[in-house]
Amino acid sequence: MERTERLLDLVALLLDAKIPVPWSGIHASFPDYGGSSEASERKFERDKAELLELGIPIEFKQANDEHEAGYVIDREQYYLPEPGLTPEELAVLYAAGSASLASGAFPGRQDLAHALRKIGFFADGPLPVPKVRLELGALADAKELPGRLELLWSAINARKSIDIDYFSPHSRELTHRRVDPYGLALRRGLWSLVGYCHLRRSIRTFHVHRVRALTVNSKSPKSADFEPPKGFALQDYVAHWPWQHRFHEPVEVELELTGTLAPLARQLFPDQSEGPTVIIRATDVDGLIKYVMSLGPEARVRGPAEVQAKLQTLARRVLASHAEVTQ
Amino acid sequence: MNPTTEKGRPLVYERLRRLLFLVPFVSRNQGLTVDEVAAAAGLSTSDLLEDLELLTLVGRPPFQPDDFVDIYVDDDRVYVDLDQRLSAPPRLTAAEGVALASAAELLRPAAGDALRSALQKLERVLPEQAVQRYRDMGRQLDVTVEGPTGLATLSQGIVEHREVELDYLTANRATTERRRVQPHELFSFRGQWYLSAQCLSRGDTRLFRFDRLSNATLTDVRFTPSPQVRARLPTTSESEKLVRVRFEAGAAPYIVERFGDEARAVGEGRVEVQVPGESERWVTQWVLSFGGDAVVIEPEWARKAVATAAAAWL
Repeated sequence: MERTERLLDLVALLLDAKIPVPWSGIHASFPDYGGSSEASERKFERDKAELLELGIPIEFKQANDEHEAGYVIDREQYYLPEPGLTPEELAVLYAAGSASLASGAFPGRQDLAHALRKIGFFADGPLPVPKVRLELGALADAKELPGRLELLWSAINARKSIDIDYFSPHSRELTHRRVDPYGLALRRGLWSLVGYCHLRRSIRTFHVHRVRALTVNSKSPKSADFEPPKGFALQDYVAHWPWQHRFHEPVEVELELTGTLAPLARQLFPDQSEGPTVIIRATDVDGLIKYVMSLGPEARVRGPAEVQAKLQTLARRVLASHAEVTQ
Repeated sequence: MNPTTEKGRPLVYERLRRLLFLVPFVSRNQGLTVDEVAAAAGLSTSDLLEDLELLTLVGRPPFQPDDFVDIYVDDDRVYVDLDQRLSAPPRLTAAEGVALASAAELLRPAAGDALRSALQKLERVLPEQAVQRYRDMGRQLDVTVEGPTGLATLSQGIVEHREVELDYLTANRATTERRRVQPHELFSFRGQWYLSAQCLSRGDTRLFRFDRLSNATLTDVRFTPSPQVRARLPTTSESEKLVRVRFEAGAAPYIVERFGDEARAVGEGRVEVQVPGESERWVTQWVLSFGGDAVVIEPEWARKAVATAAAAWL
């Protein structure tokens, strides 16, 4: 008998059971559980673990006056109830889920596809056609990305260590590292992995698209290799904005937005009031300067003077390399 | 070791959860065609037929004829007569819940909108024992700041065909304008979000950049979506105003990551790419963002635009 078939038979038996089914009854009904009692019990335990992993609520009930000790599936906890989504709620949830799925590069794609099927189960009529598109992989070569994300996501959830070859565009070298993966974060179309790097002996952030080879520790797949530190939070390690990389002590920089940028302070910088003055605590001043330059000359640095001077040095460099047409 | 999918999950796990969905799905939607059921289950037709064959072997002791799942194809349509209590799919697993919630987070749900309330209802239908795991796993996936504010409002406008009003700043005007639009599609490209919409104030289909848009509000006016021509970003192959940009060795590896083979090596570790020059403002700001590591080679107007912008800081 195929294992899938046996597992489904088990679900059908326990879903239908009005009273707990004792192990002796299961053992007698399934020829697959033949052999020595120890071996067959171990086989049953493995099957049960598989079903629990799938979220199927198998419980062991102690004996009482009405029944022997045995196993049941709690039907109330098994069946997906009607979630009571309005058509609008279903439509937006569907739009978000389908867009992520179609983007190709989203961890947990199979989980997401199943979730969408399940929430669409109670829908009357055709499911909404989503009009939201995500092109997440802002990269030329993103072929490997979906598979890598899926593998990383399963390693993160099972708390299994990984071995990676990581490419640094700065040094242009590959380094081999063992990493305890804690989580994934998406920023500006690029995925980052945060985890404990055994080579550097600290929590590090890696761009997933720079991972060149990836293997998950296959020893003892059911037991965790590590526990993330208490209070670990992804956002402490992944910069949201270019000036938030933790390269130096915070520097308070005052910016001014003029012209067409003046009303956009809140869109262009987080946690700002109306503008036109913007105050930033930067831990990566170089990142901030490049961001300011990307906004064009309507964005200006008002202070401190050394940050102003840095921007002017870069502006002079740009001017020099484009000079011949300005004279 | 068990055979696994390339994604790292055992094959038996994937097949089992598919089959536990398939029986109730067919039971609720009797008489759909084989192709329709295959599409709904995300399977090829031949894989579906294999799954249906396996399901006919599934039953419970004592395995009398009425104890088996009775699922069959008749005249290319799929029916279930006996579902053996597989009348609804199992609840969402913690991992399924997290995947869906994270996808929804990309659209930046806000208090009171349809997406936020959908997520609250979703959490209520997770199995009790999965709720804690769902919350723990949720902390392992962070996409919350990816989408700009306003995405949820606009996606609601799109799915409900409701006109939206928004403030928009055009590149060559110093003030924002209130626009009324019929939203068609949202998309992100290279980390930048865009709305494609029929602009009623201007009378044509336009692309709106999210970082120039604010105060989007839904109106109660419904519209009939047309099989519209989609507003699109100009691509290099379609552009009639190509701009050639050279990158110093320090920036070159990052450019190669983004452009792949389109980045041409030009000696001393430097590379060149061509980008669409339809928007002078975009080209200028993009080149400036490399802080001197990028140089426009041609055409002259683009070199001049970059030089003028840089000079304005001095």
